[in-house]
Amino acid sequence: MAGTSASSLVRGVAAPGRGRRMPAPVWIGLAWLALMLVAALAADWITPYRFTTFDLRNRLAVPFHPTHWLGTDELGRDVLSRLIVSIRISILVAFGATLISALLGTALGFLAAHARGLVEQLVLMLADFQAAMPFLILALAVLAFLGNALPLFIALLGLYGWERYARIARGLAISAGAQGYAGAVRQIGASPARVYLRHILPNIASTLIVSMTLTFPEVILLESGLSFLGLGLQPPMTSLGNMVSYGRGYLTRAPWILLAPAACIVTTTLAVSLVGDWLRDRLDPTLR
Amino acid sequence: MLRFLLIRLGRALLTIALVVTFAFVVLRLSGDPALIIMSVDAPPEAIAAFRKAWGLDDPIWLQYLHYFAAIGQGELGLSMRSGRPALDLVVERIPATLALTLPALALKLGIGIPAGIQAALHRDSPIDRLVMVAAVAGFTVPSFVLGLVLVLLFAVQLGWLPSGGQESWRHAILPVLTLGIGGAATLARFTRSAMLEVLGQPYIRTASAKGVPWAAVVRGHALPNAAIPTVTIVGFMVGSLIAGAVVVESVFSWPGVGRLLVVAVANRDLAVVQCILLLVAITMVSSNLVVDLLYGLMDPRLRAGGAAGGH
Repeated sequence: MAGTSASSLVRGVAAPGRGRRMPAPVWIGLAWLALMLVAALAADWITPYRFTTFDLRNRLAVPFHPTHWLGTDELGRDVLSRLIVSIRISILVAFGATLISALLGTALGFLAAHARGLVEQLVLMLADFQAAMPFLILALAVLAFLGNALPLFIALLGLYGWERYARIARGLAISAGAQGYAGAVRQIGASPARVYLRHILPNIASTLIVSMTLTFPEVILLESGLSFLGLGLQPPMTSLGNMVSYGRGYLTRAPWILLAPAACIVTTTLAVSLVGDWLRDRLDPTLR
Repeated sequence: MLRFLLIRLGRALLTIALVVTFAFVVLRLSGDPALIIMSVDAPPEAIAAFRKAWGLDDPIWLQYLHYFAAIGQGELGLSMRSGRPALDLVVERIPATLALTLPALALKLGIGIPAGIQAALHRDSPIDRLVMVAAVAGFTVPSFVLGLVLVLLFAVQLGWLPSGGQESWRHAILPVLTLGIGGAATLARFTRSAMLEVLGQPYIRTASAKGVPWAAVVRGHALPNAAIPTVTIVGFMVGSLIAGAVVVESVFSWPGVGRLLVVAVANRDLAVVQCILLLVAITMVSSNLVVDLLYGLMDPRLRAGGAAGGH
């Protein structure tokens, strides 16, 4: 629901999504995302220093320093290198979590559509529950009870937003099941798994992909929020939220430690929203 | 109407039961409660006695029932850190949190709803553009970034306001602004799209065609109908009065429920976490219930259709 934000902005700037040309904000968004992806994939090669290396002679160097473009922190660690590694971790976590949530939600949605009856009611009840509780509180409770490790953390964030995919997948699968092609494949004797995965899924994939672009920025915000609270990724691992949290201690003396990752979070979520909204207008006019 | 009410009430109770179940399951997954609470090097006899006293040797379904019964009687356990009842610890923090979230809610309603209405009434005007840019910014800027930027600006650079703590009302200004700005943007966006939807309806055109003055059309036809979806999001905001300030309280070292929750999670003080979880569930569910009742009052179709107003 929070992801529907940027569309009107795009509409305001350019013609509605049916047009051939891609509006400028979407171009910029795509370019930024490509840059982030390159930074994440090539982090090992493009970081000027190792992200944990101390340069004690250049502590708290200001940005545009000849050897440290974005300055250094209290321990002389290069902010640019830490930023690149943080981008990699944050994007990895957000990507993993979005994928898990989409798979889980779609599977449960199909299950509900296939089984109907009690199972369907159960899935819908769980979806209502998930939608009614603030996710941050549930996530904090799980972290308190089960402790924190990277796989568990990704799995936990993977529970975010599954109910949206489940509702979409269930609704679309039920209506697709009533159409001729699904019935025909079933008549030839295809198994339910084949009907759902090979025939119904490709037909509803575009809607699901658009939903993924809407949850992705929210997962980034969630991860950075939890890491900011010191309850997400633990040092020496670093993420964008961790960096902001660390930089908070140097707000007066070295605000760049905090501003670089903060700007990164904002621009990345903005870029995904712009691109996602444009995709939605192009691929799926029903999802409004 | 009675049936509608009963179904909604049943759902609300079911959600709370689910939260209790969630807490029970996660608590059991976290390992042996005896070892967590007693510490690993306790003598085996002590652990055995503890297990017996807490019924940990009973079958799991019996433990589940006991757990339900205990929570039903308001027994939420003792805080492991301070040894005091967890409920007391949480309740005494509530006023501090409300001191932030209530003014912030007023700010959200006072700015968000009028801004959304104006944007919708003057679509594609500069006001509309401004509201939409603010709404996008409100979604993409996380509250901790907004809070820290405000601190940097008003506390560090200008020195007008304190950056954290709870000594005077001036300490509340920045946290309330942080909470309010983001929420106002969200609310403006929802109000705007609800209004636009309603303004496109045939009955608006009919009313205008009959010669009803535009102001009266807006007041009498558009606003009441646009209020229905807006109430949902406002209900969510009211429901998160208790726990909606977790991040902001941490940014501004404000001693409220959210700060308590973060500290309790870091210390694995399970009784306190569980208590806050239940409290949040209860406020959320009650506010959803009130929203459902308001729906019934505002939209006669839902009343007639019983539980048809599902998802």
